[in-house]
Amino acid sequence: MNCRQARNLFSAYWDDEITQGEREWLESHFSSCAACRREYESLARTLEAVSDLPRVEVSSGFAERALAAAKRRSPAVDRMPGTVRRWVPVTATAVLLAIVAATVMQWSGMPLGPRHEGAVATLEQPVLIVPQPVKTEVPSPPKASAASTAPDAAWMAGAEGVSDSLFDHSEDVDFVLDSVTLRKGRAHTVVRLQPEPTRGEQAVITF
Amino acid sequence: MQTPLALDRDPTPVPIVRLSDEDLMGRVAEGDERAFTELVRRFQGRVTNLVSRVLNDREASDDLAQEVFVRVFVHRRNYRRGSKFSTWLFTIAANLAKNEIRRRVRRRNWFSLDALQEVLGDSSSHLADPTEGKEVSMQREQLQKTVGSAIASVPEKYRLALVLRDIEGFPYEEIGEMLNIPGGTVRSRINRARGILKRKLIPLLRKEAEQ
Repeated sequence: MNCRQARNLFSAYWDDEITQGEREWLESHFSSCAACRREYESLARTLEAVSDLPRVEVSSGFAERALAAAKRRSPAVDRMPGTVRRWVPVTATAVLLAIVAATVMQWSGMPLGPRHEGAVATLEQPVLIVPQPVKTEVPSPPKASAASTAPDAAWMAGAEGVSDSLFDHSEDVDFVLDSVTLRKGRAHTVVRLQPEPTRGEQAVITF
Repeated sequence: MQTPLALDRDPTPVPIVRLSDEDLMGRVAEGDERAFTELVRRFQGRVTNLVSRVLNDREASDDLAQEVFVRVFVHRRNYRRGSKFSTWLFTIAANLAKNEIRRRVRRRNWFSLDALQEVLGDSSSHLADPTEGKEVSMQREQLQKTVGSAIASVPEKYRLALVLRDIEGFPYEEIGEMLNIPGGTVRSRINRARGILKRKLIPLLRKEAEQ
């Protein structure tokens, strides 16, 4: 063994966690190597200084304060492991149901809430972009149902030139598209060209 | 003559102060506040000392030590019956101290190497000049302050192992459990910490020895 190996044993020697053979070898090394002996003395002096540090005194009433603080925080314990936060699944289910209901209502054409025609009128003077009539082959006018009324027919005449969909649903359903006011590139408000029809066979798509 | 029924009973319940730490903790788990207070009294000194030496901040150590016991109470049901209470307690203390060190480092409101140099410089000049007329007790106090500051300047992962071993006197295996590291790692960390501390303190200690 050399000095490096000897110094690797210093800590264990201090802790008395060294084998008898290692102890005998190290002590014989100390007797012949002044540098290692000095080095170990330095370590021992340092660790003595550390272990000589006085114990910190605890302030009076510490235990009582700790108990009071622990009791204040104890309700949190009961929500820790072993118990379930019951409001989480309930809330999650309610939110999920609301989303599903809203989606179903939207796709089935049911209004999600009362429409306030007046509210549109009170909006700050929206810029109305009137779509230009497009000269396209519009399929034959939708078959008016028996329940259709005169104002509906007039409205259909006005909307006839408006391209309203990528798909042709004219055979089975009337499409009523509301115009959309564009401001800075996004839909701002809705301006209705006609009163909303209330027929069973008619779908209304709003943006 | 005693009846068998009388033998089954325990007419003199063991006083709370004579219960083991583990038995007390078992009672705390059932919500026994007296058992909790007794545990706090038994360990408040060691926990406060550990926190104080790791942080080198006497003012903050009271609050942090209190938080250790609050966590014990709050998480009392997580205590595994049969395991050593002190290991569990000091695991909590070590984790809280570690978090506090990191929080302080983040806030850059912690002991800096410059501050250590300043303290060491002050101590050296002070201790090197006995003609200043300072008393021996003041010198010792100054030395202790310097040693405390030097410990605080050891990197956190070595410091905790050092304090648990060289100040609190825990065995390596228990320190390994507290810090959740293998025994070999504990030994290497403690060796490393001792080496760092020796390099910082030995010039000062030699001067003191020469006087």
